[in-house]
Formats: sequence, C-alpha cells, structure tokens
Amino acid sequence: MDEVKLIGFMCNWCCYAGADLAGVSRFQYPPNIRIIRVMCSGRVDPELILDTFLHGADGVFIGGCHLGDCHYLEGNYYAEKKVGMAKRLLKAAGVEPERLRLEWISASEGERFAEVIREFTEEIKELGPVKCEKEELEAACIAAADYKLRILATKERELLEEGNKYGEVFTMHEMDRLLGDMVQEDYEAKRILLKLKKPMSVKKIASELNLKPNVVFRRILDLKRHELIGIHEIRDNTPTYIANTREGLE
Amino acid sequence: METIRTGVYICHCGVNIAAAVDVKAVAEFAEGLPSVVIARDYQYMCSDPGQELIKSDIKDLGLNRVVVASCSPRMHEPTFRNACADAGLNPYCFEMANIREQCAWVHHKGATEKAKDLVASAVAKAALLEPLERKKVGVIPRALVIGGGVAGIYAALEIADKGFETYLVEKEPSIGGHMAQLDKTFPTLDCSACILTPKMVEVARHKNIQLLSYSEVKEVNGYIGNYKVKIRKKPRYVDEAKCTGCGECANACRLHGIIPNEFDMGLSKRAARYIPFPQAVPLVYTVDPDRCIYLTKGKCGKSPACVDACPADAIDFDQKEEELEVEVGTIVVATGYEMLDPAERPEYGYKYAEVLTGLEFERLSVASGPTGGRIIINGKEPKEVVFISCVGSRERRRENGEGGGERGEGARNEYCSRVCCMYIAKQAHLVSEKIPDARVRILYNDMRAYGKGFEEFYNRVVAEGAEYIRKELEDEVEVIKRSEDNDKVVVRTISKGEKIELEADLVVLANALVPRKDADELAKILKITKSGDGFYLEAHPKLRPLDTFTDGIFIAGCCQSPKDIPDSVAQAVGAAIRASIPLMQGEVEVEPLVAFVDEDVCVGCGTCEAVCPFDALSLEAGVMHVNEVVCKGCGSCGSACPSGAITMRHFKDEQIYAQIEAMCLQNV
Repeated sequence: MDEVKLIGFMCNWCCYAGADLAGVSRFQYPPNIRIIRVMCSGRVDPELILDTFLHGADGVFIGGCHLGDCHYLEGNYYAEKKVGMAKRLLKAAGVEPERLRLEWISASEGERFAEVIREFTEEIKELGPVKCEKEELEAACIAAADYKLRILATKERELLEEGNKYGEVFTMHEMDRLLGDMVQEDYEAKRILLKLKKPMSVKKIASELNLKPNVVFRRILDLKRHELIGIHEIRDNTPTYIANTREGLE
Repeated sequence: METIRTGVYICHCGVNIAAAVDVKAVAEFAEGLPSVVIARDYQYMCSDPGQELIKSDIKDLGLNRVVVASCSPRMHEPTFRNACADAGLNPYCFEMANIREQCAWVHHKGATEKAKDLVASAVAKAALLEPLERKKVGVIPRALVIGGGVAGIYAALEIADKGFETYLVEKEPSIGGHMAQLDKTFPTLDCSACILTPKMVEVARHKNIQLLSYSEVKEVNGYIGNYKVKIRKKPRYVDEAKCTGCGECANACRLHGIIPNEFDMGLSKRAARYIPFPQAVPLVYTVDPDRCIYLTKGKCGKSPACVDACPADAIDFDQKEEELEVEVGTIVVATGYEMLDPAERPEYGYKYAEVLTGLEFERLSVASGPTGGRIIINGKEPKEVVFISCVGSRERRRENGEGGGERGEGARNEYCSRVCCMYIAKQAHLVSEKIPDARVRILYNDMRAYGKGFEEFYNRVVAEGAEYIRKELEDEVEVIKRSEDNDKVVVRTISKGEKIELEADLVVLANALVPRKDADELAKILKITKSGDGFYLEAHPKLRPLDTFTDGIFIAGCCQSPKDIPDSVAQAVGAAIRASIPLMQGEVEVEPLVAFVDEDVCVGCGTCEAVCPFDALSLEAGVMHVNEVVCKGCGSCGSACPSGAITMRHFKDEQIYAQIEAMCLQNV
C-alpha cells in the first residue's frame, strides 16, 4: 500500500470523545488515521510530534478541547504553543508544516470531526510521503528534546501574557523572532552534532550541511562548551571534532 | 523482570465490528505479536461469558496483561478493568483498542488493516504498563451548596436532612432566587411564593444548615473529600443577630422610595436600607453601599436617620468585610441563570415603556408586587397584549462562525431556553383572567409543550381565547412605535410572504435564559468546565448528568442549562444525593493516573509548577513534589519539564512511543 499514514493524538475529554461520536453517528472518513488517546492535548510535546514523523508518519493530528473548555482548564493553550514549536522545527527540517494540524473539536462535534479528518487526509495525500532526509528529522527531534526549546515552548504563553522575570511582556513580533532564531540555531547545532558521529572539520561540515563556516564554528563552540563534542585530532593546523557519545547522542 | 504474557480479545460486538472488520484475521495477526500468548475473538466481550473468557485465561494461562479490542474505552474500560481485578490482575495492566467507534463504524474499507494497527498499538503499550494502586483519602463530612435559588435550597435541605452540616452560600441579601420573583407557575398555576417560602424558612431553621447570605465564594482549593473554601461575607452594616426586620430604618432612610428595587425589576422603589421582598430569608436589612448617603458621602444629616430609628440598635457602620474559610467534602453548584438583556436585541423595542420582559411581567402580575397584582401599563389596563417568543433563543450562528462558542457581546444563543413557551402560555392565561376583555396574541415559532401537563395547559390557554400566530424562526421581528403621542406599539414581521402587523398596548418579550455573567469566574474558581453555550458542562449528558469533570463537585438547576422548576428540583435532589455519597462513605478512592517526579533528575526549575492549573506540584527541598490526590493526570507538566524528570503514569513517554512504533511499523 502506498497510502499515507496519519497519527492523531487526541484528548480524552473532547476530541477523542468527538471521534467516538463520529463513530456512533456513522460519519465516514478515510481509514488512514490511527488515534492515540492522551488525557490532555497539553500532554503532547514537540519531541513526541517530531518522533512520530521520524517513525514514518506522513501527517500528525493533535485534537483538543476548544479554548476555554479544557478539562484541565489550560492544557490546550500549552498545546497550541507546543504545536507551534513543532511546526517551526518541521520547517527547519524541510518538512511541510501543514503536515501537522491542531484542531479544537468538542465531544459534541462528531460530524465536524469526520469532516476535518477527511480534509486533512486529502491534504496529506496531496503532499504524499514525507520527502526529507532522515537525519534532518532526527536533528529536529533532538532539538525538540533539548531543554532550551522545551522551556521556551512552555514559557511562551507566560512571556506573551505576563512577561519575563523583569516584567517585560513580549510582543508577538518579538516572540516570533526569538523563537525563529532559537529554533534555527538549535536545529543547526543538532545537525552538526549528528554529523559528528564521525570526526569532521568545520569546513567539511559547512560544505555538507550547506552552512557558512563561521556559523558552523559558532555552533561548534557552543556544543563544545556544553561538552557535547570534543576535539578529535589536529592535523595540518586544522582540528576535527567528534561527538561525545554518551551525552550527545542517545 | 517478569515475562510479559498478553491475552488479546477481539470483540465482534454482534455485527457492529464484525461487519466491517475481519475479526478472525485480526486475532490471527495478534497471535503473531510479541508477548501475545493467546488471541481470541468472541461475539460480545462485555457479556458475562466474554468476561469469563478473560478471567479464566488470566488464571489458566498466567496472563499478566490483557488487551480487549472492542468499543471505546470511554464506554467499557471500567468493565474490563473490573474483570481483570476479579481474576487477580491489577486493573491497570489492561489496555483497550477502540475498533468500533473509531474503526468499524467509520470505515467501509480498510477497517481490518486499521484494526490490526490499533491492536498492535494496544499490545505494545500493554507490555509497558505498570500495576497501579488506587489511593484512599478521608472525606470531611460537610458540604457546600453555592446558590440559594430553588435548586440550591433543595440541595442544601436534602444534604442537611441526611445529617451532614451544610453551608449554603448566596450572593444576594436573601435566598429565593428567580423563583421568588415569579407569580404563578406553569402548568399547575401554583403560587410561586406559597410553595417556595416555606422551604426558605426551613433552610433558615435547619440545624444542619449554615446560611451565608450576601456572601460569595472566592477561592476553592483541594480535592474531593477535602475542599478548602474561602468565602467573602460582604458587610450589611447591620448586626444580623440584632436586626428584627421591623423596617424602621428603611422608613427613616432619606432615600426612602427613591432607589429602583432590583427584585421588582425596577418597577418599585426602595430605600438605601432594604430587604428585597417581605418574605426575605434571612429577614435582615442590608445597606446598599453604592447608594447610602452615609457610606458614599461620609455624612448623612447630623447622624444617619436609620441609626436613630432602629429600635434594636442593630446598625453598625463599622462593619467590615469578613473572610471565612470552611472545609467541606463535596460541593453542589446551583448558581442559576440570568435573563438576556433585551437591549442587546434592539429590534424588539425594549426601550419603549410598552415593552416588558417576561420577568417584569411576573412582578406586575404578582399580588405582592408593586401594583398589587394589577396589570397596568401607562396607567391603564392593556387591552391588546402581544407575546413574542424566542427573544435571544434558538438563534442561528452567524455565517462567519461568530457567536455560539465564545460568549461575548452579541453572542448568539443557538439553544432553546425551554421555559418560555410555557410561561408565555401561563402569562397569557393570567392576562385573560385579570383583563377578560383583553385580546391576547402570541407570535411564536414552534410550540414546545413537552412536559407533564404542558400540552393540556396549552390547550386550555388556546380555549381561553389566546391567539397563537405562527411564524418561521428566520422571520425577523421588529417592534416599532408609529407615533410618540399614543401608547401603542406595533409588532411587525413578514412570514411566508405575508405581512403580519400586531398593534399592542403591551408587548411581553420571552427573553432567553443566559449563563450568569460571573459563571466564568466561578468556573475558574471551581475548575469546572462549560459547554459551548456558556452553561456548566455535565460529565456525561446521559450517564452522569449531575457530575462535573471535577470529582466531588456537582451541578444542579439552570447553571447547567435552562430548565423549569420541577426539573431544577429533581436535579437538585439528585445532585445532593450524589454529593452525600462520599460524605456517607467517609473515604474515597482516587485514580492513580498521576504525574511522577524522578527526584534524581529534577533540577527544581519550577517550569512545571507554573503550568499545573491545580497547584498539584510544589517545590520541596529543591525537587518537585506531586500531591497525588490533587493531580488530575493531564500530563502538561511532563511535556513541559525541560529535563524529562516527570513521567505521566499510564501515559508514559515510552508507552506512547511504543504505540507510535507499533502503528507505523505495519503496512509500510
């Protein structure tokens, strides 16, 4: 079968119940989606989403309660930010962000559930299977698991609504720039880290990843400071680096 | 390490599943999955023989994991968990694959392949499941009822009669709610006050009820069995113990007869010292802090007239707001509703003196009201009365999707307010009774006479001469005034191409019942959810209609949706019984599906603490600590934790990853 495969994470109280209602009411939709029940859409984190793509899913669907109706009051607000982060990472890895879709579907919206899934399945069929390199997705996945982006995805709401420790509230524009920069940096760093399973020089990495050597060098310094990589050897005045296996790559 | 031995059971559900899914093929497939010892298919797994099959396999084959592929876990998970427990297996070593609602019923093609994936996913998760123990916690044998309308009154009495101490919190100076404002009640024409006030007095007298009127719930913390509630008691500036309710203070008040009385919908005037109505409970005067001259200007003549007039020396302008903290085991929410402000629908001409709302009509018609029960408008009895139904109810959502969901200005109410058809009929009857020569016309969309005695009552009103004029829901109604010089208004609409124009001396709008403006705030305090229409949401519309999703908190009456008095009372008594069960049992079991912190990994950053809406996490000695009784198991903390120290029991990362892997492995 060359059919696309979709995985859906749905909250127990709204979307999963909406899917049940679609069943009870016999609203048909394509069978490509496989549903995983979670208690709250806030349970889903960017790593989980990226990992699902890494496992071969062609589309990922997150379903929660309508904003304001979350059974746990605020979980879906966090889900929204986490899905946003995952979309940025997907984009960095060269995967169409439309392959990830977040929808609020209540327990009473069985018909809408079927409609949305029909539409989403069509969209993914149109896009076909994911076309990026496995290593690109892997880098995005490790970046998503990194504490920096995990904190940011969680704190985004607070920074936009209440501000940081110093009471500075971020505008949407500022937040967008901050997230954009951090995701890009972290993604590049993780790509480099993956390359360094084998020893490599800055120049080599730069040419393989199509990055500027000065950018690669900056990320290398960061990675080294965090003891994720070390110097493998220095030959002809050119150092080559290698990942510290235990901490860097698991 | 124990060896995982899984039993898989594929249900036919008669032909519900078997018609779309090749159950034999799925069972065969399951047999080949890792750790699976036995895979069977059976007609009805939830039936007694089906459950027996599981139980005997657990015993005979030494199964330590069970997977049932059948309906939704929202349906039968508890059933199968209990079956496992009966056979000595920890109920949390059970997993379900939803191959009915989310597979057989929604796919004509490809259902079998999907069912295989879903089974593989469940088997993979099951292998990683851990046995969990339910915790038992003690219950404080007291209850709180919020709202002192008819539902709250009945709920409080019911719980108190069972012998439990009950706090009844009412925001207004008196209990009674909307029902106290009504004249007669449909369809039996009982006098509302006659049936309600004895109950109000019973509340005041009951030894187990502590009535906290003119008070509001400000904060609720805790969990079923152990709620800590902060209540703000507003100052009445009257010593409740001393006040005899004689009314001398109100008579003496310099604002006597000046301030519109809210209870009479502004149709009568009161003083700055007032009781809303003569049968108020408690019968204690209250000072209107926004109007009292002494409180607003700091001075009222030489000394406030009310102080001089009070024979009981009960007036105390030094009274301060009090905050009480009470501990209760369960809570019943019965906060009721509000009437839609008809000014929000200007087309109905509410600005004209000749246009009243249904509730205003009640005050006009009731014998204890400002006119002594005479229906008077512009100084005379109306001879032509028109009722308009569905004002702000049964509205269609706007094209752009606005309204309906998020309540805000101009929100559209798609729901039916349920009581209007019948109260219009009742009010039509009251008009014909009091003004026999009046012409009564009712402009309506559909007649909903669904309750006991309703249809009969409607027939009676029609027989009495009320003219029902039907229009379509979509036909827009307009109330206009042709000339400012006379006391007539005209109700206009065009229905099926035909112009309808009804001239009237009095128009009564059946305006919608809407959620209270403070419903949101209280929902946040109680951590309960609302449905799209803004009313509180029940845990299940059919099976748990009185429960909220928050254990130990129950809902009754119109805060859940518009309903009439019999339904409100029935719900209130039901909710009171639900709320009494934990109080009687003395202890409750709580779900073990909670967060778990690995203390060796936690760095104490506090990211999760900020995310938890239930305050279940707290920093203790540098690491996070989960209060397992408070935790509701949403998992937001786990997905927020930057160091991966938090796992969600029963929804652990590795369990979900195993599901993903199993689903993606097949068919690729």
